[in-house]
Formats: sequence, C-alpha cells, structure tokens
Amino acid sequence: METKTKATTAWLNTVEYREKNFAREKLVINPAKACQPLGALLCALGVEGCLPFTHGSQGCTAYFRSTLSRHYREPIAAVSDSMTEDSAVFGGQSNLIEGLKNAYAVYNPKVIAIFTSCMAEVIGDDINAYLGNAREQEAIPQDFPVAQANTPSFKGSHITGYDTMLKGLIDCLATPRQEDKINDRLYVVPGFDTYPANLREYKRLLKMMDAPYTLLPDYSDVVDAPNLGTFELYQKATSISEMNDALNAASYLLCQTYSTPTTSKYLASKAVPFETLSMPIGVAGTDKFIESVAKFTEKDVPEEITMERGRAIDAMTDSHQYIHGKKFALFGDPDVLIGLVSFLLEMGGEPVHIVCTNSTPLFKKAMESLLASSPYGQGATLYAGKDLWHLRSLLVTEPVDMLIGDSHGKWAARDANIPLVRVGFPITDRVNLHRYPIIGYSGVINLITMIVNTFLEDVDRNSPEAYFEMMR
Amino acid sequence: MFTNLTKLDLKDKKCMSDAGSPKLCMKALPGEGAERSCAYDGARVVLMPITDVAHLVHGPIACAGNSWDNRGARSSGSQLFRRGLTTDIMENDVIYGGEKKLKESILEIATRHDPKAIFVYATCVSSLIGDDVDKICQEAEKELTIPVIPVNCPGFLGDKNIGNRIAGEVLFDRVIGTGEGSDEKIPLAINLIGEYNIAGDLWGVLPDLENLGITLQTAITGDANFDDLRSAHRASLNVLICSKSLTNLVRKMEIRYGIPFIEGSFYGIHDISETLIKIATALEDPDLLERTLVYVKTKEEETRKTIARYRTLLENRQAILFTGGVKTWSMVSTLAELGINILAGGTQNSTPEDFQRMKALMDPSAQIIEDTSSAGFLKIIAERKPDLIVAGGKTKYLAHKTRTPFLDINHGRKLPYAGYQGMIQFAETLTRTVLSPVWGHLRREFPPKEGEQDD
Repeated sequence: METKTKATTAWLNTVEYREKNFAREKLVINPAKACQPLGALLCALGVEGCLPFTHGSQGCTAYFRSTLSRHYREPIAAVSDSMTEDSAVFGGQSNLIEGLKNAYAVYNPKVIAIFTSCMAEVIGDDINAYLGNAREQEAIPQDFPVAQANTPSFKGSHITGYDTMLKGLIDCLATPRQEDKINDRLYVVPGFDTYPANLREYKRLLKMMDAPYTLLPDYSDVVDAPNLGTFELYQKATSISEMNDALNAASYLLCQTYSTPTTSKYLASKAVPFETLSMPIGVAGTDKFIESVAKFTEKDVPEEITMERGRAIDAMTDSHQYIHGKKFALFGDPDVLIGLVSFLLEMGGEPVHIVCTNSTPLFKKAMESLLASSPYGQGATLYAGKDLWHLRSLLVTEPVDMLIGDSHGKWAARDANIPLVRVGFPITDRVNLHRYPIIGYSGVINLITMIVNTFLEDVDRNSPEAYFEMMR
Repeated sequence: MFTNLTKLDLKDKKCMSDAGSPKLCMKALPGEGAERSCAYDGARVVLMPITDVAHLVHGPIACAGNSWDNRGARSSGSQLFRRGLTTDIMENDVIYGGEKKLKESILEIATRHDPKAIFVYATCVSSLIGDDVDKICQEAEKELTIPVIPVNCPGFLGDKNIGNRIAGEVLFDRVIGTGEGSDEKIPLAINLIGEYNIAGDLWGVLPDLENLGITLQTAITGDANFDDLRSAHRASLNVLICSKSLTNLVRKMEIRYGIPFIEGSFYGIHDISETLIKIATALEDPDLLERTLVYVKTKEEETRKTIARYRTLLENRQAILFTGGVKTWSMVSTLAELGINILAGGTQNSTPEDFQRMKALMDPSAQIIEDTSSAGFLKIIAERKPDLIVAGGKTKYLAHKTRTPFLDINHGRKLPYAGYQGMIQFAETLTRTVLSPVWGHLRREFPPKEGEQDD
C-alpha cells in the first residue's frame, strides 16, 4: 500500500499514472454507459399509446426521465411502481398490481411496457405470475396488452435494455406468424438511436425508394414533439396494428448490430426473415442500407438518391483536406463507433483511441477488422470496457486533434485541450444536435460540417494576425 | 408526473386536509408518475457538493452512470467531487457479493486521487445483496489516514427527503466536530445549512456577509471543504436556508454544541434583509445589528434602483408559482418586488409549514393549486393563462409546450439568484424570459384564420 499520495494534476498527466490507471480493475471513473432500463424506456416510447412502466424503486425512473429530458429538452412520460423496503421483504407483487391499476386508470394507455430495475431482479420477482394475478384481480382488463422486459442495471447497458424491450413489445403485441398472411412491408429497426432526425431520415429514404415499411420503434415525434400549444401525452409512433402484424413482416432490416441481437434471435425463432446491417453512417454504410432496401423493393435506386449521394461525395471532396491525416479519439456505443470510424477512414481521418465501455467480443472483432481494412486504421487501438478516466490518460499522454463523443467527454477534452465534437447520448450542453441526422448521405454532410467547422473555428481563434485569412 | 391525483384513491386522506398542502406523509403511489427521486439521490444532493472529498457509489451503473456531475453545484477549489466514481456492480457481484470490489475501489481512490475523505454510498443493490458497507469502510479506514464514511441510503428507503435526513445524520455523526483543531467558538461565525451553491448562489451572499463582518464557517454543503465542515461546530449560529430537510441536523447541533439556529432565505430583497437582520440579532452583537440595519437599507435602495427598469417591464404581469423548498415562500415576495401578481401557487416538496407561510404571503385572491401533479399544473395553465411560470426544472418542457414563458429556479438553472446581486440577476433573467420575442410568434395563429391579418 502506497501511503503517500501524489495525485497532482501533473502526475495524473504522466505515462507512469497512465499505466497505473490502466491497471485499475474494480473502480470505474466517469462511466460512459447508462443502464438497461433507460434503453428499455426509450424503446417503449416508440409504440403508439405505450406507457413505459418501471418495476423497481422510484428513483430509477426519476433518473431516466431527467436524463432523457435533459438530452431532448422535452417532457418524458414514464411511471414507476415505487418499490420500497417492504417490497424487498415481501416481493413487489402488490406494487406491481396497484401500479398497473393506477397507471391504467389515470393515463389511459393502449399498451403498458413493464421493465425492471435492479431491486426487482435481485429479489427475483416473477413478473409474469404477478401479471396474471393483476388480471385476475381486475387491476387491468383480461385482454389488455402488457409487454415485459427483464432489464437489471447490473447486466449489459442501455443498448441491451432497448433490445430486450423491443423483443418484449413484439412478443406481446404481434399475432403468430402465418405464412398465408405475410404482409408486404419491410420492418426497419433503427436500434438504440437517440437521434429523432435519424429516424426521420430512414423514413424519408424509405419513402423515396417507394418501399412499404414500418419503422419499429419510432419515437421521433415523442422526443421531438412540435409545439402546437398543448401537451399531448401520446404522440404518433409505430401503430398498434403494425405491431400486431409485426411477425407477419415480409422482412426485417436491423440497422444496428449490437443493440439488436436478442430481437434478431427472436425473429429467427419465429422464422421471420431479417438482415442485420451496420449503422448506416458514412457513404459505404449508407450504400449498404440503400442496396438492402432496393433488393427488398426489387426496384431501381431512384435518381434523387443518386443525386443525394453525389452531393455527399462532393462535400467530401470539398473538405477532405481538413480531415485527412488528422488524429481522432472516439468513445460511445458499439454501433455508433463502427459507423463513425468507417466514416473517418473514408475521409482519411486517423482514429487513434477508441473507447467503448459497453463493448462485446463480437464488436471488438468487427472493429479490429474494420481498422485493419484501411491504411488509416493502422494506428488505432480499441479499449474495450474502459471508461472516460482511461480516455483522459490516453488523451494527455498520446495527444490527438479531436475527441468525438457525448457531453460526458467534455472533461477529458478540456484536460487535453482539444475540441469535442458531440455525437451520441447524452448531449446535455449543446442544442438541437439530435435534430440533425448522422445517418444517410445527409448524415455524411452533417458530420463533415460539425468536424471541419470545429477545426476551422479553432484555427481562426488561435491564428496569429499574419495567418488570419478570409479563405480557409 | 402527469398524474391527476384526484383520480386516484389516496390512502391517507388526512394529509390532504389543507388544500394544496404538500403530501409529505404520503408515500409515492405505485403507477403514479415517477416525479420524485429516491433516498440515495436525496443523500447525494446534500453530500455531493463537498468539494475535496471522493464520492464513491457502491452500486450498478444506473445510480452513478445517470447521476455523476449532474447537479450544478459550484466549487471555488477542488473539483474532485465531480468525478463519477462507482464500483459498477455487475451480475457476478450480485451473486458473489461486492465487498472485495468495494474495498479495492476505496484503496485505489485513496492512493491515486488524494481525497480528504471518501463518502461511500450504499444503493438498493448493495443493500439487498447484503454487502456490509459499514464494515468495509471501517476496514479500509484502518489501512488509510483519511476518514471513509458510509452513507446508508438505498433508494428503496423512500423519497428524497429521507435521503436528505440520512445525509444530515452522517454529517453530524461522522464529520462535524471530528477535526483536530480547536473546538472554541468563533464569534460572528455562522454556518449556512442547506445552501448548495447551485449555479454559484453562495457567492452572491458572501460579499454581504463579508461587508458586515460575519464569517462563514462553512456552508452545508455548498463549496464546502472537508476541514471547514469538521469545524462547523465552532460556528456561533446555524442558519437553515433550505426547507426542513436538515432540521434534524441543526437541532442536534444545538443540543450537542449549543449552537442556536434560525431560518432564513437569500432570495428576494425583503427576505435577504430580514435574514441578515435575524442573523445579526441572533449573534447578539449590538454593533453588528446597528451596522446591518444601515447596510440592508443601503443595499435595498441600491438594488431597487437597479431593478426599477426591470420592474417597469414586468409590472402587473400574472404569474403561476410552482415550486418546492424554501423558495416557495421566498419567491412570493421576490415576485412581488417586481410588481408581479401571483395568480396561483402550489408546492410539491416543501413542508406543510413552508406551504402555510407561502399561503399567508400570497394575495387572498390567488388560487391554491390543489392538484399538484403535472396534469393539475397543465389544467391551471389552460384556465388561468399566466404571463409567466416560475417553477422547478421538471415542469419546464411541459410548460414550454403550453407556450408560456418559464423560469427555472431549481438546480437546472445556470445563474445565481441569491443575495442582492442575485436579485438583480433574477430580475434581468426573468425580463429576458418574459419579453423574448419567441412567445409572440408562438401565440400567433397559423395559418391565419380568414379575415384576420397576419401581423
């Protein structure tokens, strides 16, 4: 045991400390992940008339609501059955039943999505049995749909919770697949995607390609509701009838890999065809998405989309010199990271540090092979399961030009004196970023705008008069 | 949340006897909107502003992941308190216990982060799996030279107020009076209890105290460092300024250390002056009292002169006030100072006494918001059509949907409103909010109805 501490800022910036910091095993400092139920809540917001319902202690839900509300600057609706000490001893059944009764009576939902927080999971509550009893006691009508997800915070992360809840919602609402009743629609699952603009971009592209589709779940209008002078508890989202028909889908397109494995396994078990893509960030990623949709519709890619792609490529050629050769550090969710890294590689940007707190072995493999595929990826290291304090050590000992990640990265960026371009969740210190898509060809243009203009802003602010120029 | 409480079968009707009075004795109803946070959060709110210590959360990612550096408490010195430290309890820990992980984490923090002390927060999970946080803290403390202080505040114990109280007990039992220095009372030294330096509020009050020759021993806990807190018992007076959640602490300090306490508020000219005079009186120093009486008169005149132009712009506007804590009654006079009438007022987290005080201060014609849920809140906005709403951040975006100017007076705000200086800031910010041109655009019908001019 070292008795003398030398935790001065200067020491924290040394390679010596970096080694000690990376030897740290138990303690997590400045975590870059949220918990399962938060993801479940977001997912549940995407079904029409669905009320998110946490089975657990009340503080959890207050945290989810405030985190989402700060990110979106919107009111976020969710209830909790407020388990207390008694529930720890006797189980949470009475809370669940009373909670369902009250929530059903007061909020008039079309469906309730129950997901658990830690307490219920530790004491081993059997939600399914409780739910049966709730119906028997007429807390809710016999046929009222209640979707379920077990989402303890001590397992997985927000992306796992999203996945589990999505499976729960389909399982609850969809009628069994019947081969003679297959519909003509492509069910598109965005995955844990916090950008309402991304969801709208998917819909816009699908419409342009004349694809019959259902976006599932679609919370774009819930987390980005127009101001029409009144507050509506329920906004337009994926309709109940589309949910009912979800297993009769012609096919599924899952637009993220690591936030959808439970759902895809479930679809496979129901013999529903599906294809899993990487999040369509960057030109190649978007091309794949467009190709998959075109394969489904069996129609040509419309000229409008070819033109859009051309404009994105034009933007890339106009601004390649500002990104090519620049060094980047990134942190965030697996799917977003794969997308951002492939975009940077397309631009000749060099990722150096990639921190993914909620990494998985499959993701690690995919990221490593993506990096290996490009000359610009050779200098990069993926730090799986590490936190933002590790990232800080990396940034101060092995400097890069820019950090890309959510608002939580602002401390590390400040300590390393580099700009932070905000991509991901949560973004609580900038406005409107969720209103700009980062997917699709328009996402390519938006990412270039954010990254390049941030660099140029820095150049202007710091350049001596002799080099202060009208043209950059 | 968006609950209409009147639709629910309330178990404890007697708490509802006084219309609009907060239902403190009522537990949160299952299925009710999750408006209130938990005991853990309540304890964090009180203790987390302590700047030069480490705050370690022994729980799964939710508890710390969703809450690190999220309060807006400012520090003039160490920023260590804002580091998000957690044991990130995982499934294996749930099965095999997390004590080992906790101990290692404590030692790691002590060695590498140089804290004056470590506060260790128990959570629902650590308590349910039977981790003995007290024991681990004791063990770790033996190996270290700094205090390691357990805070037993699992969320399931109840709501935020319970957590506030637990934090008060922890400060009393483990921090105050544990320093090595003198125990002697410092004349004209006070503690400000329940001042968390949100957005730098404390710094708006300090100049006035300094000008009067009053020493701040420590705030509990805004911008506080551990050593000053340990010597909090050397103050001659405790000034309780946020609701009643730390009443237990000041009562105990009165008994053990003979420190009397008064209540006060630093929001609004009237209350600031009254509080400064009360402090001077309680410190029983005739000179100080005389100085204070002159000082507050000058400051009042000065401040009123500065805010006169805001008053002209705001006068006769109609407000809805919806808040909690001490601000409930303090805000009534703050708004009155600017010539704003209160159409309706309600409170969610205050004590019944605070509520009564607010009621007494309001114009008798003002409506008491009986249904303090968000549904009730929305209904009253629709009925009364206020010019502005002054409330805590939870209702902000809800209010925006009704296209009503809204000022956040809770911890979500970024500007200090306390002290005479804060009053000016408040008036300035409120004016900018109310007079923003966006509200005009929002209220215009579009597309315009036939026969109406689109101006």
